[in-house]
Amino acid sequence: YAPAGLVDGPFPTHYEPHESPFGNPLYASQQSNPARQQIRRPENPYNPTHGEPGVEVFPYVATTYRLTEHHTAGGMSRWLPYLAELQPEMFCEVSPALARERGLEHGGWMTIVTLRAAIEARVMVTDRMTPLTVGSRRLHQVGLPYHWGSRGYAKGDSANDLLGLALDPNVHIGEYKAQTCDVRAGRRPRGPALLALLDDYRRRATQAGVSEPPAKEERP
Amino acid sequence: MTTERVGFFTDTSVCIGCKACEVACKEWNDVPEDGLDFTGHSYDNTGALGASTWRHVAFIEQERDGALRWLMSSDVCKHCTSAACLEVCPTGALFRTEFGTVVVQQDICNGCGYCIPACPYGVIDRREEDGRAHKCTLCYDRLKDDMEPACAKACPTESIQFGPLDELRERAFERLEVLHVAGQSSARLYGQDPEDGVGGQGSIFLLLDEPEVYGLPPDPVSTTRDLGSMWRAAAGAGAALLAGIAVASFGGRR
Repeated sequence: YAPAGLVDGPFPTHYEPHESPFGNPLYASQQSNPARQQIRRPENPYNPTHGEPGVEVFPYVATTYRLTEHHTAGGMSRWLPYLAELQPEMFCEVSPALARERGLEHGGWMTIVTLRAAIEARVMVTDRMTPLTVGSRRLHQVGLPYHWGSRGYAKGDSANDLLGLALDPNVHIGEYKAQTCDVRAGRRPRGPALLALLDDYRRRATQAGVSEPPAKEERP
Repeated sequence: MTTERVGFFTDTSVCIGCKACEVACKEWNDVPEDGLDFTGHSYDNTGALGASTWRHVAFIEQERDGALRWLMSSDVCKHCTSAACLEVCPTGALFRTEFGTVVVQQDICNGCGYCIPACPYGVIDRREEDGRAHKCTLCYDRLKDDMEPACAKACPTESIQFGPLDELRERAFERLEVLHVAGQSSARLYGQDPEDGVGGQGSIFLLLDEPEVYGLPPDPVSTTRDLGSMWRAAAGAGAALLAGIAVASFGGRR
């Protein structure tokens, strides 16, 4: 019940996420929700979306979800030995096809990259992750539990570091379940090398012609 | 025994893999955390039963008739009718309780480790920190206070059922029938037969595939079952040898 009414609507419709590899099949001229709240700041760069040059730099889609053993961002469960031992390490679920495509070894390490951050995770190759067929294209998705952080009995990289903030216009919840990304085999670099990796991705995404976000923009 | 024998019926067809049983068991029995290892075995990072893991939830991802199936099962000590661990224990630390369960007394166990190779399932093990053998007690202390074991209490789907073993066996057969009628032809019971190699288990399981798929031995036999005949055979061989020596030494012409 929203006494002041909803900002968007009134009819249900389809919009693509703020970052999407595909065009909106319903509206050629409106890719994503026009009322969505965008936060255009240097700290929140957006991956190129469909229609923007550089979209191929992040060809996969990441989604985030929970595990039974931990609780939300893990602050209250990663410190408990009985829970930490049940799910001790951050992992990323990938399909066997994506593992073959990117040389990911089950039980090994992989790095997931967006313009915001690069995180590492143990590789979980599973048939439960299935490549999607969208139109005539195959899309690989990766699954990221979001319970880990740099401190605790069980430590790991945080999936939330990858997320860009594009918020629902009514309740201002971000699109955490649909982000574009790239994946690579191996652990992520540390220190200055990590920043260099992200700079490389930014260069590749912007060289393709996407303009830099303005330093300050009016928030609706 | 004046009390009825009790045990577990674990219906793995309704297990949701929540691991509440693992946590509840450790909380109640103060069992230590035993390893932060990412095993890569689906969502099972516990690995196996051991001295500090008395409930272990297995996860098996299977392809079946073109569809993906995710089997989940909570493994536990079988509290065998013919418990080899109990029979080989030289100190008497392992004993049969009035409830028909098998318990190892920590103040008597000397850590000799004879029970460890004796168990056909690989359940009991020695804890490095204190050197003694540990395993599921079927919450002996809770049973004495008319309570059910911690794992059965915590299980949200009643996959782990506790009660008199005869009643559980009946329930297991009824549930098996329901599954068979519904078309789950690969469903079967494990450990329900008093004629099996361990004389029937105190923990009956309803599995949705062969025991090997879950990491369980398909035809477990108490390792002490053949001891009598083995000694008799050795005695026979010894007697034959002595007879042969006697004949060679004293019999016949010289």
